[in-house]
Amino acid sequence: MTELLAIVLRTLVVSGTATAMAVLVGFPLGYAIARRRFRGRTLLLGFINTGMGMPPVAVGLVVWVMLVRSGPFGGLDLIYTRTAMVLAQFLIATPIVVGFTTASVQALPPRLADLLFVLGAGRLRTMWILAREAKLGLAAAIMAAFGAIVSEVGASMIVGGNLERSTRVLTTAIVTETSRGEIERALVLGLILLGLTFIVSLALTVVQQRR
Amino acid sequence: MEVSLEGVQVERDGRVLLDVPTLLLRGGRTTAILGPNGSGKTTLLRVIAGLDRPGTGRVRIGGLPAHASRVAYVFQEQVFLRRSVRDNLELGLRLRGLDPAERRVRMEEAARLLGITHLMVRRADRLSGGEGRRVSLARALCLRAPLVLLDEPLEGLDRPTYSRLLHELPQLLAAFDATRILVTHNPGEAVRLAEDLVVLVDGRVHASGEKRDVATNPRVPEVAEALGYFVVMRDGRRIAIPPDALRPGSGGEEFLMEVDEVVDLVASTEIAGRIGEVRVHVEVPAGSETPAQGDRIHLHADRFFELS
Repeated sequence: MTELLAIVLRTLVVSGTATAMAVLVGFPLGYAIARRRFRGRTLLLGFINTGMGMPPVAVGLVVWVMLVRSGPFGGLDLIYTRTAMVLAQFLIATPIVVGFTTASVQALPPRLADLLFVLGAGRLRTMWILAREAKLGLAAAIMAAFGAIVSEVGASMIVGGNLERSTRVLTTAIVTETSRGEIERALVLGLILLGLTFIVSLALTVVQQRR
Repeated sequence: MEVSLEGVQVERDGRVLLDVPTLLLRGGRTTAILGPNGSGKTTLLRVIAGLDRPGTGRVRIGGLPAHASRVAYVFQEQVFLRRSVRDNLELGLRLRGLDPAERRVRMEEAARLLGITHLMVRRADRLSGGEGRRVSLARALCLRAPLVLLDEPLEGLDRPTYSRLLHELPQLLAAFDATRILVTHNPGEAVRLAEDLVVLVDGRVHASGEKRDVATNPRVPEVAEALGYFVVMRDGRRIAIPPDALRPGSGGEEFLMEVDEVVDLVASTEIAGRIGEVRVHVEVPAGSETPAQGDRIHLHADRFFELS
């Protein structure tokens, strides 16, 4: 029971941290891409949109190659740690957050930022008001990013190693229990994962739909 | 509060959008910036508001550098937060640091003047075109800025709403205790609403001054066309004729028109055709004798202006 609780908490911490980091990077980046015109913008958006559907196992493999002892960042000694898992999940979540943010900011009335400028809003205030106006899309960005990384198994397995009491999270635990033939335990873990995703999504939906 | 521009030039993608060596817009008056689509009217307004920075030159409002805090801007498009009308009116007042009591007084006064008191709790982004335009005007009004900029404030309204607001606007503009600059491509609106006119064509100012001076002395074809006049050649001279001065029949300055089309407008009949290569049209009362397509008829102008 204690280990089960630890797995749930670990899952929340790893995916929650990765989502928070993706939001910190993805919101400003998506906002900037939506508001500015620059050379290569369409190409960049093409990469981001591709990234939104990137297979987690492929991301995991790239991170593993970078962090493995013989890799370019092997000296950091991060492979098979929760930090490595956060990093991989951050890379999966960021394009999703950027893509949703860009789309939702672009969907705002084109002159809204101009209006805020002439009404006297500074740059930060403008960003904050636009974010509030785009909250439907931004909340969807967080839900989609969290949902994608909390349910992925490939990247966590490769860079985390599924080590008991260290890097095992709900998805890798489900794989382990299934391979052991512990189908009931796997099902319980699956239900917990579903419940967790539902609670997080519901909380964000409440924020999203609040007037 | 007068507005002055010196050496202002705006370029985009290698194209000059605006080139204004010098322009002075007098304070306390309504000036209409008149010109065809793409002539740089909105760019000029945006430069004055500080929304676009000119590549060269400077804009001064009341002798000081242009700043958003001294401007109220009514956009051509309806631009609202997805919140109530009250929240939308209050936003600018909050951003300018007014206390709640002052905000309430100003909002109530503006809402009463624009007749939108009953709309205050409605979502602003779901209003009709006419209601939205009133709310935009109220939002600008309650800022009590010394300079009010209006970009095509009547564009896109249905006919009854347009007509109602067109007649109300002079009184509403007078309520702004400010210098008012209005952008329009419609010469009728410009002459009705403004005291001064600036004619902008291809990013350049071709005329500016009191509306009577500009309208009765267009001087160049660009100004005459922006004012909606027909510009025709006559014995090697170029002359501009206001549409209401051109009538079928003889007398005064006479022209021969080749009729292309006769359109029944129920209350009147429009005769469209060409004087030389210039397309013109005149209206005659319904029931009048009308020519057929291909006929040549005489028109006369009881008013016209020689152009250079």
